[in-house]
Amino acid sequence: MLTETGGESSNMKASGVWMNNNNNNNNIEVEGEREVESPSSSGYVGERGSSGSVSSASGTDGIREVRDDGDAVVDDDDDGVNLVGDSQGEWIRGKRHADEDDASTSWRKRKKHFFILSHSGKPIYSRYGDEHKLAGFSATLQAIISFVENGGDRVKLVRAGKHQVIFLVKGPIYLVCISCTEEPYESLRGQLELLYGQMILILTRSVDRCFEKNPKFDMTPLLGGTDAVFSSLIHSFSQNPATFLHAYTCLPLAYATRQAAGAILQDVADTGVVFAILMCKDKKASLHPDDMLLLANFVMTSESFSPICLPRYNPMAFLYAYVHYLDVDTYLILLTASSQAFFHLKECRQVIRIESVLSKSNVLNEVQRSLSEGGLRIDDLPVDPSARSGSLFHLNQRRPSESVVAIGGPAGLLHFIYRSIYLDQYVSSEFASPISTPSQQKRLYRAYQRLYASMHDRGVGPHKTQYRRDENYVLLCWVTQDFELYAAFDPLADKGVAIRICNRVCQWVKDVETEIFLLGASSFSW
Amino acid sequence: MASRRRTLLKVIILGDSGVGKTSLMNQYVNKKFSPQYKATIGADFLTKEVQSDDRLFTLQIWDTAGQERFQSLGVAFYRGADCCVLVYDVNVQKSFDNLNNWREEFLIQASPSDPENFPFVVLGNKVDVDGGNSRVVSEKKARAWCASKGNIPYFETSAKDGINVEEAFEVIAKNALKNEEEEIYLPDTIDVGNTSQPRASGCDC
Repeated sequence: MLTETGGESSNMKASGVWMNNNNNNNNIEVEGEREVESPSSSGYVGERGSSGSVSSASGTDGIREVRDDGDAVVDDDDDGVNLVGDSQGEWIRGKRHADEDDASTSWRKRKKHFFILSHSGKPIYSRYGDEHKLAGFSATLQAIISFVENGGDRVKLVRAGKHQVIFLVKGPIYLVCISCTEEPYESLRGQLELLYGQMILILTRSVDRCFEKNPKFDMTPLLGGTDAVFSSLIHSFSQNPATFLHAYTCLPLAYATRQAAGAILQDVADTGVVFAILMCKDKKASLHPDDMLLLANFVMTSESFSPICLPRYNPMAFLYAYVHYLDVDTYLILLTASSQAFFHLKECRQVIRIESVLSKSNVLNEVQRSLSEGGLRIDDLPVDPSARSGSLFHLNQRRPSESVVAIGGPAGLLHFIYRSIYLDQYVSSEFASPISTPSQQKRLYRAYQRLYASMHDRGVGPHKTQYRRDENYVLLCWVTQDFELYAAFDPLADKGVAIRICNRVCQWVKDVETEIFLLGASSFSW
Repeated sequence: MASRRRTLLKVIILGDSGVGKTSLMNQYVNKKFSPQYKATIGADFLTKEVQSDDRLFTLQIWDTAGQERFQSLGVAFYRGADCCVLVYDVNVQKSFDNLNNWREEFLIQASPSDPENFPFVVLGNKVDVDGGNSRVVSEKKARAWCASKGNIPYFETSAKDGINVEEAFEVIAKNALKNEEEEIYLPDTIDVGNTSQPRASGCDC
């Protein structure tokens, strides 16, 4: 969990702050109330059995060039970056192309389909087209799954030309993805897991009981009006690295500000509030990183009270989420176990008090400032190790991101993602030229996603480093027990220099870690 | 979506091979008939939207293969069916005798919650053949069997001429709807005060 007050298991009270940047899709902040043991130590070694075996991964024992890594050539085709009708704004409204069915040419040309159906073959959700018109198609999917199951086996993946059909069976719920995006099997399977999690967040796994009693059970009416939630989740699969990293990201904030926000929320972690979460408007953040992602994706309206289930917390039962916007970008979520709590939470001191303390203590202003300034920028990477600064916020030198035309970082560095393994958090640099359009960003995310999958391939792994070059990028990945670094360089970048730059990035991240990570609330592992 | 509250009904068509299951379905859904016989492999699926009593619903029709070698697929295919259509050929005695087996097999494999009242419909097909002269199963005999199995509705059909097909499926849909039971979906709320917090038990995600 985020943070814990009281006994080990009796009180699951906790509080936190998540913030997310609306413009640049990867800033969230998490704030907990627990003291950071030692702000100067590297956060990842903190809480968890840092018995000394884990030596701090400082820059000195950094990555080295290993000859036999070689230059892997990746077949990086244009993997369908421009999905038909995948423009911003269109996806948010909900179901697209509801008039289509499996007989439509346009439907067949879609690059990535997602289906949810019941074990009797009744359709529950389809990304494209009308579920009822797809009843026959849905039945076919069930027949395939059941046919294999009949033989005491399980179908996981079917390849047909450029298409992959991925199956995921969750009790009475079947999930299927049909894709020609060339994403790895593991990534697509992970996306099906998240899709299932989103459904559980809305309904809990109580639906399993309905199917046990009555296999004819039709779930579709229960999910009425949630098309937009699923569409936006699917959209985020190619926009938000949290969907494959299983980590969340923090809004950069001065250490003191983050501490202040945490203290304020801790106060409310009382009187039946299980979690208090403060987020910025974007829906792309994450809880157990995955729960957080699904919760944030679910928040749609300005003020609401809604039952939600956190699949990693307890997939069988509901909590109640009260969502209250403090300003246009920032909202507070109070999660309570009481279905009667709406008026209590709305009327009573809690929200009003949090709101007033947050604004009096200047936290909201700092949040706004950080949102407009953006996160780590590759052109700010300190190249001279002696000129290091421990803060992003010194001397108010940070410029609003709009006014900056970045031209890439040193040595052809284009972008990076740094994921702290112990913190379940990641930080990624702001996008800069030449990766400036959504489709270029999507292509880079897909490349990272492939990199992630290949590094975590259980069959051949674990790997420590990977260096690959193709016509778009040089990609460098470095995995240690503490962190994972994914970096993209200009395709002409020099290997030795790129490796040196990666070491710099890691050093930089460590230097400013109190501002970009939430330390001390190390895990959501319930 | 405008009309979210729509019902989907899963209809299984069973019967010996060659009695005309696929032809009946084609006549009903596509208004077409082909004199060529092409055995169904495994199962075919067709969808038909129907309006009845101001309600819009979708029939998901599972046209199964009659050959015995496909019968192991039963459990998988029959699960969650809303209605089962038993078809025989009025010109083939054996196909009528087998109705009992098909019915029992279905009830065993699908194990519906209330087998006594599970909606079946029986269709005696191919009444057009030879002007009815090659007929071996009389309507009386068929109706008697249906009555003995809890008054199963009975229709004499011709997929070729489209006789009674529309009417039969109308009853199929109505009966499937009649049997529709609303499952109560009642999720729990997390009990935070309880020390024995169930922690994602049984969750394999």
